[in-house]
Amino acid sequence: MNLKNELSDSDLLRSMLAGDEEALALLYRRRQGGIYRFALQMSGSKAIAEDVTQEVFLFLMREGHVFDPARGSVSAFLLGVARNYVLRRLRVEHLLAPLGDDADDDAPFLHATTDLCPLEDLTRAETIESVRKAVLSLPSKYREVVVLCELQDISYVETAEILGCAIGTIRSRLHRARALLQEKLRPAAQVEETGSASVKSARCFA
Amino acid sequence: MNCQKFESVVSELARGRMMAVAQRDEALAHRDACERCAARLRDEEMLTRGLQSLAAEMETLSAPVEVENKLLEAFRTRDVVATPLASRRSNVSYWLVAVAAMLLIAVAVVALRWNAGRVDQPQQAVKQAQPQPKQENNNLAEELAVNVSDRGNSLPVRSKPPKRIHPTTLRRPASVPVANVANSEIATDFIPLRYTSAASLQDGGQIVRVELPRSALANFGLPVNMDRYNERVKADVLVGVDGLAHAIRFVQ
Repeated sequence: MNLKNELSDSDLLRSMLAGDEEALALLYRRRQGGIYRFALQMSGSKAIAEDVTQEVFLFLMREGHVFDPARGSVSAFLLGVARNYVLRRLRVEHLLAPLGDDADDDAPFLHATTDLCPLEDLTRAETIESVRKAVLSLPSKYREVVVLCELQDISYVETAEILGCAIGTIRSRLHRARALLQEKLRPAAQVEETGSASVKSARCFA
Repeated sequence: MNCQKFESVVSELARGRMMAVAQRDEALAHRDACERCAARLRDEEMLTRGLQSLAAEMETLSAPVEVENKLLEAFRTRDVVATPLASRRSNVSYWLVAVAAMLLIAVAVVALRWNAGRVDQPQQAVKQAQPQPKQENNNLAEELAVNVSDRGNSLPVRSKPPKRIHPTTLRRPASVPVANVANSEIATDFIPLRYTSAASLQDGGQIVRVELPRSALANFGLPVNMDRYNERVKADVLVGVDGLAHAIRFVQ
């Protein structure tokens, strides 16, 4: 078991395709988190994220032989497959704009775990929620870049491998995505500022 | 560094990504000098913090244990492994059929084009071999025969008949001169039909070979041999670009 832990993803995949169940279990435990989070951040739905995670590894069992180490890592390969499944699922279910008040069922992954005081914790949770909603409202080609580069902290090179495009494209999409995020998040901040300004002026009049 | 260059690096600066030291120093110096760019950097840093908070919040999330159990169960039963082998076979056969179909289509297209080329070549040969009618050959022809090509100067009529020439009709022995075949016909002048005018022929037209009852000659004031009343007679109809028959000539 310990020896297998030290095996690379490619070796585990090869063993898995040869029928080694333990190799599958190890590879799954090593990579499922990233795939699940990617699907969740892309779709905003835990159900879709679970389905996609399962589909990705089922695909790996069936078509794992198509993986080519020369074209990238196993992790990038799996995320590429996950991306295809997520986009297909979103298209099918018309969930390209899945946000709304009815998405409460999919929201509880945000939870307070910090040592901040309750009010600060609440503010932080609100901020995170607004960022999450802003990310989910991005067009998919910008959303996937933000999820991979910003939330999954994957390099430009690997993101380019996953999405199958040039690094320059990743850079420009990320730049555009950040600008869109700022536009989406700005109104709330401006309203907040306007609100506080009106309160100040009221105090002056008082 | 100016504002435009600052804009191109502000995201990397806010994200704390690796960048050239000199470039970073220049950007920070510009930020200190330009209030607008400083605000821009603050916005980017705020966004980066928000995204990092979201990423940190979700860092511990993972798929439920049931997913792993289902996958391992599926792996044990080998259902998922057995299926793709069959599907791969079906995929291979599908592609083989597709390739075979495309090859068949390609062969058919090539064969059709080759046949068309064989038809066109003899047709052109016939046209090139057709000489001008010789007046000394036949006195009757001197009076009646009017070759379409002779009228081509005064009337812009396309002499190419629309009738498709079957390749077998063109396979005649090489010893038989094609020009003789063309010269063996005697034709009357074109007789204009009533509802046309000469002006309407300026745009050209086509000559169509037809067969009519011999009695049709009487309609144009030509003599009819009553002994051969039931036979047919060949005629060339001049069809204008408007699709109407403008003139007719009878051919013997």
